[in-house]
Amino acid sequence: MRSEGWVFLAVSWSVILLLFLFSMVRTLRQKDKRRQQGKNL
Amino acid sequence: MAREKWGSKLGVILAVAGSAIGLGNFLRFPVQAARNGGGAFMIPYFAALFLLGIPLMWIEWTIGRFGGGFGHSTAPGMFHSIWNKNRFIKYFGVIGIFGPLVIFVYYTYIESWLLGYSLFSLTGKYNGCNSEQSMTAFLQGYQGVAKNAFFGGIGPSYLFFVITFLLNILVVYLGVSRGIERVCKYGLPILFAFAVVLVVRVLSLGTPDPTKPDYNVVNGLGFLWNPDWGALKSAKVWLAATGQIFFTLSCGFGVILTYASYLTKNDDVALSGLTASAANEVAEVILGGSIVIPAAVAFFGPASVSAIAQGGAFNLGFVTMPLALQRMAFGGIFGFMWFMLLFIAGLTSSISLALPALVFLEDEFNLSRRKASLIFAVATFVLAQPVIFLLGNGVVDELDFWGGTFCVVVFAAVETILFGWVFGMEEAWKEMHVGSDIRIPSVYRFIIKYVTPAFLFFILGFWFWQEWMPTILLKNVPAENVRYVIGTRLALVALFVLLVFLVWRSWRNKDMRRTQDAV
Repeated sequence: MRSEGWVFLAVSWSVILLLFLFSMVRTLRQKDKRRQQGKNL
Repeated sequence: MAREKWGSKLGVILAVAGSAIGLGNFLRFPVQAARNGGGAFMIPYFAALFLLGIPLMWIEWTIGRFGGGFGHSTAPGMFHSIWNKNRFIKYFGVIGIFGPLVIFVYYTYIESWLLGYSLFSLTGKYNGCNSEQSMTAFLQGYQGVAKNAFFGGIGPSYLFFVITFLLNILVVYLGVSRGIERVCKYGLPILFAFAVVLVVRVLSLGTPDPTKPDYNVVNGLGFLWNPDWGALKSAKVWLAATGQIFFTLSCGFGVILTYASYLTKNDDVALSGLTASAANEVAEVILGGSIVIPAAVAFFGPASVSAIAQGGAFNLGFVTMPLALQRMAFGGIFGFMWFMLLFIAGLTSSISLALPALVFLEDEFNLSRRKASLIFAVATFVLAQPVIFLLGNGVVDELDFWGGTFCVVVFAAVETILFGWVFGMEEAWKEMHVGSDIRIPSVYRFIIKYVTPAFLFFILGFWFWQEWMPTILLKNVPAENVRYVIGTRLALVALFVLLVFLVWRSWRNKDMRRTQDAV
């Protein structure tokens, strides 16, 4: 594989993983927050 | 009767991700990327993801939740709720029932092959096939296209179809929470686990045959990722990337509308839509891009894979992959994982395709779930018979084109205009942020109103300019298939007209009830 190929692979994987981690962490954090709010009520 | 609800927020995200993650993620994407510029394909791909795919996800989640608030789970009712002054708009919504119904009819049959092949991997039924010709003969024997030493008739294939079909009907009959959500909650983690195991196995293949140093995994990755800059000048490559985004995210089908209609008024749609899209992209680009092509290049070399990729995604999945997996230690187990992960991907998608037509009967004609499931099952089982017995005569291609390509773009264009222009961007933006867990960047106000519809109309215009006449005049259909293609088209027109009639009838019934109540 040429170096350009590695660059495309690395950039594409990074964009997707960052998007996935951001959205998944936010989703799970909101879930925890709701659970906490439920307990406090 | 109280409306069904999703059991949890993660459950609905997994269900939408499950709908999006299908055979296309593991078979179609790598072939499209390899054929259309390799790494350079990712430039139009990401442009389409951020300008078209993710905005459409948000639009469909929001319209779905909004329509669900009025008791509608399908596009005709939802479109009517948004633009109730227009008495014709509900008929455009028919596309959102027609498209998934048409795809369901052939998709379950293909899905059933995967169930059969996963069992054959374990039992070693195709182990004697060591060449592309014999593996192709095995597939054709199984499909009933040819009688040979592997299969005497279509019986086994039909049996697996009936099992797969009944499984689909059972899941949708059980409903969104007890059926669909449960299948996706258990199915998707298994799918991801199998895919990760296969990726690790493939990436650790190195150079399987030291006498052929070019046949290795790194060259396999290069086959997919080395950019061909010249490809970016071709409109065809940009259209292929856009088509792939549509196909992979299940946007424009109408299924996300139905899933989102079971949300409550204050459930988030912005973050959920983004999470489902991101999960789908992980499955497609990271996992899907690291199995088929690298494994095929490692065993058969770049030149052979180039020819196989030109032959299409099915050859790669059903012929090349089993051949490659057989050459590994524990090939039967890896073969089972490969076909089972595809089967789960297919199942989580096909149940979403079944839902719009089924809940349309339930919502608009007040039928019980049992009755609606029975009508749906009988109708789709009958419609599936030509797909099974006329395979290879152009029927599936025809259903795929009208249900899975043409209708998708038209439907997406209609809902985008309705959302950004009729509902109005101010109102739409507010609705998207009700109960939202994230703030969508303001630039998306502009993208949703102008860029996404412009993108869609460009695709439609381009298609009309290049393909309209040859498609209508059957220019690319082999002479022996013409009568089957014409028959399929007539059947599709009849199905569409029937759905339009059902929408008209249900609204007329409602109007009559309202008049009687008033009196």
